[in-house]
Amino acid sequence: MSEVVTIDAPSASASPSSAGASPSVLEARALSKRYGDVEAVSNLDLRVGPSEIYCLLGPNGAGKTTTIHLFLGFLEPTAGSVHVTGLDVAAEPLESKRRLAYIPEQVMLYRNLSGLENLEYFAALGGRGSLAPEHLTDVLAGAGLPRDAVRRRVSEYSKGMRQKVGVAIAIAKEADALLLDEPTSGLDPQASNEFSELLGRLRDRGVAVLMATHDLFRAKETGTRVGIMRHGRLVTEMSTDEIGHADLERIYLEHMHE
Amino acid sequence: MALRTVLRNEWRLLAADRALRIVLAVFAVLFVYALANGMAWERFQERTVEAARTGNAERVQALEQELADIANGGRPSSPFRDPRAPNVLGGARGAHAAVLEPGPLAALAVGQSDLLPYYYDVSIYTNESSFQQNGEVENPLNLVVGRFDLAFVTVYLLPLLVLALAFNVLSEEREQGTLALTLSQPVSARDVVGAKLAFRALLVVGLAAGVSLLGILATGGFGSSGRVLLWCATVTLYALFWFALAAWVNSLRRSSAWNATVLVGAWLVLVVVLPAAVNIAAGLLHPLPSRVEMITAQREASNEAVNRRSELLARYLEDHPEMAGGVVAEEPGLGALAWAATDAVNTRLEEVSAVHDARRADQLALVRRYRFLSPALLAQEVLVDAAGTGDARFARFQSQVRAFADEWRQFFVPAILANERMTADVLPDVPTFRFADEGPADVAGRAAVPLTVLGGLVVLVIAGAGVGLGRVRGAD
Repeated sequence: MSEVVTIDAPSASASPSSAGASPSVLEARALSKRYGDVEAVSNLDLRVGPSEIYCLLGPNGAGKTTTIHLFLGFLEPTAGSVHVTGLDVAAEPLESKRRLAYIPEQVMLYRNLSGLENLEYFAALGGRGSLAPEHLTDVLAGAGLPRDAVRRRVSEYSKGMRQKVGVAIAIAKEADALLLDEPTSGLDPQASNEFSELLGRLRDRGVAVLMATHDLFRAKETGTRVGIMRHGRLVTEMSTDEIGHADLERIYLEHMHE
Repeated sequence: MALRTVLRNEWRLLAADRALRIVLAVFAVLFVYALANGMAWERFQERTVEAARTGNAERVQALEQELADIANGGRPSSPFRDPRAPNVLGGARGAHAAVLEPGPLAALAVGQSDLLPYYYDVSIYTNESSFQQNGEVENPLNLVVGRFDLAFVTVYLLPLLVLALAFNVLSEEREQGTLALTLSQPVSARDVVGAKLAFRALLVVGLAAGVSLLGILATGGFGSSGRVLLWCATVTLYALFWFALAAWVNSLRRSSAWNATVLVGAWLVLVVVLPAAVNIAAGLLHPLPSRVEMITAQREASNEAVNRRSELLARYLEDHPEMAGGVVAEEPGLGALAWAATDAVNTRLEEVSAVHDARRADQLALVRRYRFLSPALLAQEVLVDAAGTGDARFARFQSQVRAFADEWRQFFVPAILANERMTADVLPDVPTFRFADEGPADVAGRAAVPLTVLGGLVVLVIAGAGVGLGRVRGAD
């Protein structure tokens, strides 16, 4: 039902680190974030390359959302640095954000505007200029929003429909990297599956994805690598090819009970 | 690009927000009503001024006719109102109404023009008490609450419109959850808030300036382009001050409710409390002598003068030898004696009036010193001055009327003292009054300091808001 949306290949080659064998689109170097005595993120080293979906697992308060906010420049690191396609986020916050797309746990939009108007606004703000409404409608449809809903006010949308507009905003931006914070939280299984398929398509186009999630099943199914965080530390990371669902659950629980 | 994008989105949000549209419509009605009110007052003034002018012409015509009749053997209409007597021709019968035209933009700001007289009947009996009294009785309710004119709406109500549009410019984005998505785009909070406020400022300033220009167009005020510019600049700066304040409060990253409370509190303090406090302080620290004192002094001086007219006349002639041509002080006429008494009363009134004027000057000096505490005071001062209904233009008028009253006395008093008989031939030589209005440079000169301070405040608050908004990185 959904149309395939044309997405340009991301410009991962712009990254200085792409000169190496494994160019990273997203990179955290010895990253720490402290709030008073609490270390939300501690000495985190993380790399996500093109066409990679990296799932950050961990309980509430493990530092997953903080890590994503550090990549977005919403927070200033206490130590270390974050880089997007080689750009230091602290030094070049706007240029870094131009290369990032973000879907929060709850996609909140302007309620009095339609999904199409919201997409038009955020796409333009994201640097895509004025896109034709037909193209934007295709993007929304590609993200799974019914065509007859694109011109309805967002106040009439379900959470799943808002989430799809969020996905469309991320797609329309044609960013090198996608940051997702619990994107399937509250979505029904069908919507979650559609979302996973969409991520797969983005991965195939070379987009680097960093996703914070509690959903071990989805992480195994969708991700290419999984990292487990606890108390702000990345305690382990593994390739999803190497493990089964049961292994992932066992490893996760082992780390939670340490 | 971000600016255009945000402006377009703001337009859509406005078009989709019924409550906001209603607020704007209500304020648009208030602005138009205030303009209509001001125009009605200006028309009333113009009619009064015209009636005074017509009265001048009719009076001269009637006197001319009566003097011609008398010259042809007729009799005066009354022995006590014989126009041949210089104290009658220069007194109440021949008095000349010196009028102040409504200010060039009077329809926009009534100012104190409904409190202060805009014409004086000048005669040889014009003295300081004439300047302390109001010729027209105004609606007492209007005097209490002030005229509902554009200046009032601008100074008192426009900030409320600004605050209604801007109090949650950032906090609402955070509370409704759109800020995270917005700031994940390559834009800063400063740019987004700046663009959102620019759109709302365009609406508010457009509304205020648009209605003002409409009023100016309807009343022909475009002849005073300097005043029009000054008016528009003041409205713009004043609105910008409130937008900047809203931006600064938003930059503190508190809730919309907190922002609203603080901003309404600021409005209350800056627009209502501080101006009232300055006025009260002026009244308490430099109280004006009561008018009863002036009236008592006038009566006492009159009584004393009547009893000592001869002595007073001798002293007057000693003090004013230029007026004494042909007078035999030992055998003065009744007119000369009466004039001597009048002059003594005037001198006494000048002493009382000097105290009053000095206190009034002290009050004004205090208000001028502390006006910098409130942008509302600064804006109001410039608005009424630009409209030509402020203190300065009225003081200029009063000063010219005083000079004219002197000229009038110089013309008639020598004839009174010499007990001359007047004929119709003197009428063309009787002085007439024409107000020499101030130039744009005078008004601009007075407005320079308050406008500079207001502009400085705007820059300061915008800088504070800019620093605060620069710290807004995320949605928390």
